[in-house]
Amino acid sequence: MSDSEYKVEVHHLTKNFGELKVLNDISFNVKKGEFVCIVGPTGCGKTTFLNLLTRIYMPTKGDLLIDGESADPKKHNLAFVFQEPSALPWKTVEQNLRFGLELKKLPKAEIDVRVENIIKLMGLEEFRNSYPHQLSVSTEQRIIIGRAFAMNPDLLLMDEPYGQMDIKLRFYLEDEVLRLWKNTGATVLFITHNIEEAVYLAERVLILSNKPTTIKEDLRIDLPRPRDVTSPEFIEKRQYVTDQIKWW
Amino acid sequence: MKKEKLFLSEYEHKELFRKRIYRFLPVLSILLLLCLWLLASSNPMSRFPSPAGVWERYLKILEKPIKDLGLLGHIWASLKRVFIALAFAWTLGISFGILIGWNKKANAIFGPIFTAFRAVPPLAWVPLVTMWFGIGEFPKVLIVFVGALMPVVVNTQAGISNVQREYLDIGTIFHANGRQMLFEIAIPSALDAIFAGIRNSTSAGWMVVLAAEMLGGKSGVGFLIVRGMDSGDYELCLLSMICIGVVGYLLAIVIQLLERIICPWTTKKSN
Amino acid sequence: MDNEKIKLRLEHISQSYIVNDQIFDAAVDVSMEVRDSEFLVILGPGRCGKTILLNMIAGLEKPADGKIRLDGEDIQGSDERIGMVFQKRALMPWKTVMENVEFGLKIKRMAKAERRKIARKYIDLVGLQGFEKSYPDELSGGMKQRVSIARAYANNPEILLMDEPFGALDAQTRYAMEEEVQRIWQTEKRTVIFVTNNIEEAIYLADKIVLLTSCPAHVKAVYDVDLPRPRNTIDPKFLQIRKKISENTDLAL
Repeated sequence: MSDSEYKVEVHHLTKNFGELKVLNDISFNVKKGEFVCIVGPTGCGKTTFLNLLTRIYMPTKGDLLIDGESADPKKHNLAFVFQEPSALPWKTVEQNLRFGLELKKLPKAEIDVRVENIIKLMGLEEFRNSYPHQLSVSTEQRIIIGRAFAMNPDLLLMDEPYGQMDIKLRFYLEDEVLRLWKNTGATVLFITHNIEEAVYLAERVLILSNKPTTIKEDLRIDLPRPRDVTSPEFIEKRQYVTDQIKWW
Repeated sequence: MKKEKLFLSEYEHKELFRKRIYRFLPVLSILLLLCLWLLASSNPMSRFPSPAGVWERYLKILEKPIKDLGLLGHIWASLKRVFIALAFAWTLGISFGILIGWNKKANAIFGPIFTAFRAVPPLAWVPLVTMWFGIGEFPKVLIVFVGALMPVVVNTQAGISNVQREYLDIGTIFHANGRQMLFEIAIPSALDAIFAGIRNSTSAGWMVVLAAEMLGGKSGVGFLIVRGMDSGDYELCLLSMICIGVVGYLLAIVIQLLERIICPWTTKKSN
Repeated sequence: MDNEKIKLRLEHISQSYIVNDQIFDAAVDVSMEVRDSEFLVILGPGRCGKTILLNMIAGLEKPADGKIRLDGEDIQGSDERIGMVFQKRALMPWKTVMENVEFGLKIKRMAKAERRKIARKYIDLVGLQGFEKSYPDELSGGMKQRVSIARAYANNPEILLMDEPFGALDAQTRYAMEEEVQRIWQTEKRTVIFVTNNIEEAIYLADKIVLLTSCPAHVKAVYDVDLPRPRNTIDPKFLQIRKKISENTDLAL
């Protein structure tokens, strides 16, 4: 049993499809409660990377460790938020929030406490008994995010959850996800194409390269919160990451 | 170019192994079917024809034709009827389908009548058709035509009336007149539905021709089955059934190729 | 700038629909002016208002109230001088790139040789030479939108409407396409009315931004963007304008 200080360890993750090298020797560690953003050019094997983390298929070499053991969806608490909301249409908002916890067979009292906490943090009181189809896409996505955080996961993986939403909405949602993160102390891996979003949210930014994909840089973002997107320091960091990628 | 040595993890080996087994499974199921066949026919009490018996019967037909036609001759007789019927069914069916799919007035006039006719199975027409036209070639082809017509009209109409609004908007923006909208947009957009109709009509036509032949005739694979039944020649029945299956399968493949040629965009996908 | 000709004018446009036996007001008393060769961006949250305005200009819908004037005259239905680029299902999948681009010209019954020549010019302009015989399904999202732009241009419109053309693209392709549109517009100047919900995109492209409220939509503010082109999204002046507009935008939760 490893006594590693890291919650999540990625060791030499490599994936080949036949002769095509997609991911090449990716290694990084994440501490408990850290918020890490991953940015990279399109076609950098991000989808493959995600599929390996969600165990859709297995790596060619290397592995993903949680608390020192190989990540196992049955044993570990892994939560995912994808680009499209995946609320269960036959359950109300409250039932959706409870869903993940009920699957893990937690005691009812505990579930009540956690779900109430999330509803309060996100201001979802008025939607408690609504069904997903009655809500806007962005609200539905917030439910999914709330559900993920409610599970107090070992690792919370978010893949461009705010996709094509407009800037105003994005800022609001980004502040909300930071609130949830601080409150629950979850370990978060947040994948995005939006560099401003990455610099706004992250304590660390991992910059991926083109295929065969490696980690180009592991950048620490030490700016105080709440961050000001118009401040020169913020702009400098943002420009730096953009230059590193230069994908278009 | 030097080929790099492939490295697969233990997990990936298992995946590859599993995929190879999946490819083998259809072969396995066919072998299983053959075993069941042998089992069924080996029972001395049943008269179920054995694979060996069917094979011998096949050889016998090659030597001694039935009603002056060899096996291939009968197959061709059936196919000829189907082809003629399909030619008419497709031409008339697609045109009619476009008419009632595109023109609301035509749909109001002809639609309900057609729906009523559609409900009548092709074989129900046999007594009337036989009374009018006898039991020659024409009535058989006519019944197959009726059976093949329905799916073509239904699918074509559905395809034409369900053209995506966005494509019609493009036509409006570029000021296409009604005729241009129909030929440049509606019909090409409906081609996949039209082909669904063509596929269905082909399989329907193949089934109906066999049934029509079974009701009276001197040639065709359906006729062979009746022949076999009348003379207790069950090997002939089973042999005919196998031929029917094989031909049906080949027809489906031909239609698929036809679609690929006429609609090249259906097979192209971006990487 | 002040004395430039007004190309298009919307006067007190309103639109409503009947949804589930209730009257739903989509747009209320919207007025705006578009100058000749101007790049106007209509910015608004959600899907409300902006697309409907564009549909009315294009002649796909009739306004419940108000007038639309092109060069001083009322527009009746779909006008030949107006072209459009759509967001979804913009290309006809059964036609090749060349056939899609020449579509408008074929409708006008132009001779094949002539329309091929024109189509080729615009296929080259959008940087897709070599792809004439490809089918849309073989192209990436960004390439499809470029074909759509080429097709609109090939018809030689005086006004080009673009309805959130990059909404379905991923972020980096979107940035690349914004640069493309900018470049194409500077090469072949037309009057452009561009609709988006993305503030950054609006400021990057526009000479003038009309900010709409959420439904029922009316004009909240009009901003003139005077920055030199091509613009830099990280430039402090850019961010200032962005902040100003974003604070004024409705939050569409």
